[in-house]
Amino acid sequence: MLRFILSRIVQSLIALAMLSVVVFILARATGDPLHMIMPMSATEEDFANARAYLGLDRPYVEQYLLFVGRAVTGDFGTSIRARRPVNDILRERLPNSLRLALFAMTVSLAMAFPLGVLAAVKKGTSVDRAAQVISVLGQSLPSFWVAIILVEFVSGRLQWLPAGGNEGFTSYVLPGFTLGWFVVAGLMRLLRSGMLEVLDSEYVKLARLKGVVEYRVVWLHALKNALIPVVTFAGIYFSILVTTAIVVETVFAWPGLGRLAYEGISSRDFPVIQAVVLTTAAIVAVVNLGVDLLYALIDPRIRYAR
Amino acid sequence: MRRLYRTVAMSLSLVFALALAGTAEAQAKNELVVVLSSFSGETLDPVLQGHIVKYYLSPMFDYLVGTTPDGTPSGAGGIATKWENSADHKRWTFHLRKGVKFHNGDDLTSEDVKFSLQRAIGKRSTTGYAGPLRTLIQDIETPAPDRVVIVTKEPTLIIPTYLSRSLSTEGMVLPKKYIEANGDDAFARKPIGSGPYRFVEQVTGAHIKLTAMDSHWRTGTPKYKHLTFRLVPEEATRIALLRRGEGDVVEISRERVAELQKEGYPMHFRKEEAILHAYWVLGPDGRVGPTKDKRVREALNLAIDRNEVAQSIFGGHADPAAIPMGLSWSFPAVGFKVTPEMQYAYDVARAKKLLAEAGHAGGFSLDIYAYQLPGLPEGKAFAEALAGYWEKVGVKAKLVPVDYAAYRKLWVDRKAPEAVGYYNIANRDWIGTYALLEKMAYSPSKANDTANDAEVDGMIAQVMRQTDRDKINTLMRNIYTRLRSEHVGVPVVYLHSPYATSKSLGKWTPGTVMYDLFLEQLAAGK
Repeated sequence: MLRFILSRIVQSLIALAMLSVVVFILARATGDPLHMIMPMSATEEDFANARAYLGLDRPYVEQYLLFVGRAVTGDFGTSIRARRPVNDILRERLPNSLRLALFAMTVSLAMAFPLGVLAAVKKGTSVDRAAQVISVLGQSLPSFWVAIILVEFVSGRLQWLPAGGNEGFTSYVLPGFTLGWFVVAGLMRLLRSGMLEVLDSEYVKLARLKGVVEYRVVWLHALKNALIPVVTFAGIYFSILVTTAIVVETVFAWPGLGRLAYEGISSRDFPVIQAVVLTTAAIVAVVNLGVDLLYALIDPRIRYAR
Repeated sequence: MRRLYRTVAMSLSLVFALALAGTAEAQAKNELVVVLSSFSGETLDPVLQGHIVKYYLSPMFDYLVGTTPDGTPSGAGGIATKWENSADHKRWTFHLRKGVKFHNGDDLTSEDVKFSLQRAIGKRSTTGYAGPLRTLIQDIETPAPDRVVIVTKEPTLIIPTYLSRSLSTEGMVLPKKYIEANGDDAFARKPIGSGPYRFVEQVTGAHIKLTAMDSHWRTGTPKYKHLTFRLVPEEATRIALLRRGEGDVVEISRERVAELQKEGYPMHFRKEEAILHAYWVLGPDGRVGPTKDKRVREALNLAIDRNEVAQSIFGGHADPAAIPMGLSWSFPAVGFKVTPEMQYAYDVARAKKLLAEAGHAGGFSLDIYAYQLPGLPEGKAFAEALAGYWEKVGVKAKLVPVDYAAYRKLWVDRKAPEAVGYYNIANRDWIGTYALLEKMAYSPSKANDTANDAEVDGMIAQVMRQTDRDKINTLMRNIYTRLRSEHVGVPVVYLHSPYATSKSLGKWTPGTVMYDLFLEQLAAGK
């Protein structure tokens, strides 16, 4: 097991190193950040001063080595746009994204589990059809539309919940639901098909023959064995929710990582872009490793040590 | 199954209970919440951004020269209570207000003013007017703690206005001891000023929180203990915050004005906050292509129905403009009047005739760069309208979607000769307008020039050296007249910027100072 974990960590580090080169080049290919921060009245001398002060006048190789040298110590430099240490900004934004993603994932699991299991158990009935409609709507309605409708009606007209910001538990509800509902369809379908397969298996039939009560058969014996693909899917989506919830974060004025990435790209803020991409990659690597380890926990037949 | 229903019902009840608690909490707050769509760079150090962050910096810092909300320099609103210049107009003496303290308790003295100005014109500064001030200032003397003398290389009248609240942030007075002891980075993270509100917290992308000083010479005892700026990019969310009572001053788009007025929300406009001005990018050696011909430039101006643009794109919250780069807040001070003849008529027939006379009866190709700008969400719609109008007179207009930074590089590098760009230029007083013209209509500025007119160049050069105000006024009037008669650009409309306020907020005049809402007046107990 230890060997497996170590090998996955080494693979992740290699991927991060390669990614650092790619993101460094691509960030600079987007254009000159000084045209975003310098006033219209700035002279050529002002531009030269700013370029020198920000270290953008140095050769690319030197800039890259400086970036990597700092990044390995956990220092991502100073934001060109906000002129603050990128680490400070990440410290503000990352926990917000993690909390929102956790809330959204809880919402989606809370919706997907009963829907998926009930849809499988009541296959072909109106319950099955209703579950599929609810889940498909979540994925087919664009997030920005759902978000704006919720803001307009639930918050603006009915005034039940906050429209934006992240102050207090209630501010999680609308963005969490918007994000979570989108994931429900995938989770529910996987769970439904997994459950249908498992419910038809020999050991479930045996359990029923032995007189095990139905809810234990469904929710304990069958569900556990239908979980592996669901865990994989949830893991991948958790990473996505943490890092790319740009639309939802923008509509709900949620200061998270997705919006930070957008702000970084639109203002050509190289240090921010680099930090967000590498942090995102690290999150994906950690979540994937966590998912792999969960497999063994769910199904003891899975072993990683050779 | 019953258990599931019970759980869902209980969860929903909990959510609504929490929501109601949240609303009650918001109502009880002694807080003025200003909700804006953009914070620009979100920097807290006045030398790192310039005028576009004045919205939230002005309550925190005092300016050397204060202004009234209409931008008139005033001894009552700044650190300098009075100022005078020498007979040769090269020494400006500022007499400082006594007893002013920074938020950390340090006294504000002439040394702080000198330090702040040196910092504002230093190499690290990216403020709007650091360049011209750097060129102009020779020395800063501090003969007494309450007196500062600014010595200039050339005779000039512009120093007080350049260091006032009416322009950028160069006039903000910063704490020398605090910055020298803690460094620039620490100051940028936790700034200290001497204004009526002190810094409490910043979360980038979310908010900036300030707390009132117990009493301040600018505002007296504050009406609101807390002043919070919230960054909310999505308009539906900003409006929902207003409806829930979580936003007191809310930036809204022109198209939502009528709806909110119908709901009874007071609407405050910054009238003619900006001029929407389109222009042709110059080539490396000046104007190129068909627009080199004055008749073509006039034709393209006549082809635009400015009233229709104002109504259909800007919801009626705009007025036709007639003078290229003509910032209307400067007109009264220099005695300039826009006559009815100066207004461009919408005259397609005459536009076609002028194009034919210029040898372009069959039209010509023209690229229009289409981009959004802060304060101009209608940017791309406007570019499409421009293309539509010009196509009606035979011009083959091609829209090039791009983001502004990419376009600006093409413009200043002169890599897109004759292509059309546009900008919502913030309105300002005559010195601010002069500073703008010195960049956008002055050939020696090279990179930003859009006029390429020797006569205008000559007059702009004279303004800088002139110390007789009457002669300056005449020069400024002549510059405007020349810009109009040569059709150096396409002045389209003056934009009015709406702000909705909560129903209980009371009277507020946002003023006519660029990028400054004079919010502390609203929060003042005076």
